[in-house]
Amino acid sequence: MKKAILSGVIVIAILAALVAVAVSGCRFGFASNPDDPNEVDTAEPIDTSVDTFQYDPSLEGTSITLLNSKAEIQNALVEMGAEFEKRSGVHVEVMPVTDGDSPYTKVVSLYNSGNPPTMSILDTTDVIALAEEKAADLSGEAWLKEAEGYLTEVNGKVYSFPLCIEGRGIIYNKQVIEETLGESFDPASIRTLDDFVALLDRLVAAGMEEPVSLAMEDWSLGAHHLQYIYETYDGTSAGAAEAIEKIKSGQLDLSTYDRMSQFLDMFDVLMKYNVAKGDPLGADYDEMAIDLVDGKTAFWFNGNWAWPNLEDADAEKDDAYGFLPYFMNNDPDDFVNRQIQASPSKQVMLDGVVATEQQLAAAKEFLNWIVYSEIGQQMLVKTCNIIPPFQNNPYEPSDPLSRDIYNHVHDGAAFNASAIVPNDHWSILGAAMQKYLAQRSDRAELIASIEDYWAQQQ
Amino acid sequence: MKKSRGGKEFCGFALPGMFCFVAVVIVPFLYGVYLTLTDWNGVSSVKNFVALQNFASVLTDKQFWSSLLLTFKYVIFVVIIVNILAFAIAYLLTRGIKGQNFFRAGFFTPNLIGGLVLGYIWQFVFSRVFVGIGEATGWSLFEVSWLSDPSLAFAALVLVSVWQLSGYMILIYVAGFMGLNQDVLEAASIDGATGWVKLKNIILPLMMSSITICLFLTLSRAFMVYDVNLSLTAGAPYGTTEMAAMHVYEKAFTSRQFGVGQAEALILFVIVAIISGIQVYVTKKQEVEA
Repeated sequence: MKKAILSGVIVIAILAALVAVAVSGCRFGFASNPDDPNEVDTAEPIDTSVDTFQYDPSLEGTSITLLNSKAEIQNALVEMGAEFEKRSGVHVEVMPVTDGDSPYTKVVSLYNSGNPPTMSILDTTDVIALAEEKAADLSGEAWLKEAEGYLTEVNGKVYSFPLCIEGRGIIYNKQVIEETLGESFDPASIRTLDDFVALLDRLVAAGMEEPVSLAMEDWSLGAHHLQYIYETYDGTSAGAAEAIEKIKSGQLDLSTYDRMSQFLDMFDVLMKYNVAKGDPLGADYDEMAIDLVDGKTAFWFNGNWAWPNLEDADAEKDDAYGFLPYFMNNDPDDFVNRQIQASPSKQVMLDGVVATEQQLAAAKEFLNWIVYSEIGQQMLVKTCNIIPPFQNNPYEPSDPLSRDIYNHVHDGAAFNASAIVPNDHWSILGAAMQKYLAQRSDRAELIASIEDYWAQQQ
Repeated sequence: MKKSRGGKEFCGFALPGMFCFVAVVIVPFLYGVYLTLTDWNGVSSVKNFVALQNFASVLTDKQFWSSLLLTFKYVIFVVIIVNILAFAIAYLLTRGIKGQNFFRAGFFTPNLIGGLVLGYIWQFVFSRVFVGIGEATGWSLFEVSWLSDPSLAFAALVLVSVWQLSGYMILIYVAGFMGLNQDVLEAASIDGATGWVKLKNIILPLMMSSITICLFLTLSRAFMVYDVNLSLTAGAPYGTTEMAAMHVYEKAFTSRQFGVGQAEALILFVIVAIISGIQVYVTKKQEVEA
């Protein structure tokens, strides 16, 4: 009997420990609200009174599919599809790529099962991988001239429709900076790395202990940070491709390449003032948005896609957020210190294998509708909250981050360069960057892993 | 006459099952083996025959071998801890304590939560709750997230897997303990066997059939772990907790080297098959009849 009681006590103790862990997990709650399906939609109203677009009546009743890999615009796309169907009679079925599935894997499995989507929204790298084998040639489309500078060519042909421009840099919270320093803040006054460091030091002196949020996610480190070394080669996509070729062939030695060391100079600064300096790899993405909005930090390296996170953390659309360039040296005339990076990111590819002539024509009409119809133009900007790459689109995005990118692009204060790297670049070199961020490796080791990576890509 | 009826019965009962088995296991497996001999990238309509080139690439893929080594380490920890813990708890839960059915259900619950969900829950526990405790108490063990240190992240993986797997094994061991022949145990007691001696010489040999099953299940599950690995650490920090199954997936789908990934999957399969085979053979030999 005594033994049985003892056993009972042990069992209860173990179970209690388990419960304690589980309960404490619940009590802390989530840092940001998970997506709430009942949330009131605050999308801007669309003026549908004017529509001069010429619909092709022969396409009525056609059904096409759209694979969407940009989760945040899923509902907006469904709305767009419904509006388009109302006017053209073409049914657009929007299929989401579920969380955790990679868009490329999804589209490839659809192709392998003989049931590919008529249109797929993909990253540029994926389009290039699939273009010649699977995509329809769009080189003759009228919208090409509206998207000049934002087209992706594969061996001289255009296979994809640039859906949006995305840009990245150091997001600042103007109000917080001004409140901390007690004076007005002009982002244009920061022109070099030293200026930026001086500003950080003043913020620290004024009581903001660590003014920078630095994400530890491999996609942020491996793609958004590290790719500056290719993209700042000369600020163009062609230059980025050239830099990559030279690194591959060994012509460009990373240990002496100026952009490599300049990039790390900036990265070291961000590391030094990182709010999560004590445990940089434990940094939490949602918390960074909250810190920036609440004023615990003043800067966060990210892109305009971070707006939904800021909004979740209670940022308002008329708050003053904007981007500083990724300062890499002390030459105020160097374009990297004056411009932020902004380039087309998501592309729409049309299926050229299984789709019928009719479906292809309907898909092309949908794309034209986005570019040329008053309603399509509005919906792209207002409903999807996208920065349009089309010069004829008169609408401006409404959230402060996208608006800042938009203004930079239109003022010539953005450079349009995107490096086309292999698909595992972000994950493999992201890990190398994490190691550097955690100070478990030095510059030499990081550079060696980048060189190693490229050596294997022959 | 009798023979032909046997044939009919065989067709009626076994063929549908065999057809499914062949269609979803054997054919894809053989197709997979064929893919290891090609340079297919998952998309292109041409598959070039490249002989054993993919296997040569596997040999030079350092990350694969280190992830395999890590998997071995993980398997050893998980198999030993899960089985000892499950055996001990099952032993306690078959001694007639009050509310033992409730406890059995309680311990089994983690096994009902899917690996992905479990991983995300525990990720929160390690990176927020533990850090919160560390901040409140000043204990250095909890000061930084376990998931940002290679060895602690590994420990976290083992801990979560043990937490998840134990419940299932407890159930099997409980069934084993309930099936123990009381006469033998009583006879042993009369002969003066107590405690450790009784456990070692009487109970363990009689429990061998349960141990065979549990070892096999934990071994194969631990070798093939993917979901917990993905949701808890995703290989972080800096790729140090990437296990073999995850590396295979990354190789095939992220690096888009289907042939190499498939070859690595095949190697992993052979290793697991050999080890589980040996384990079943050895433990089966230890089984005794009461």
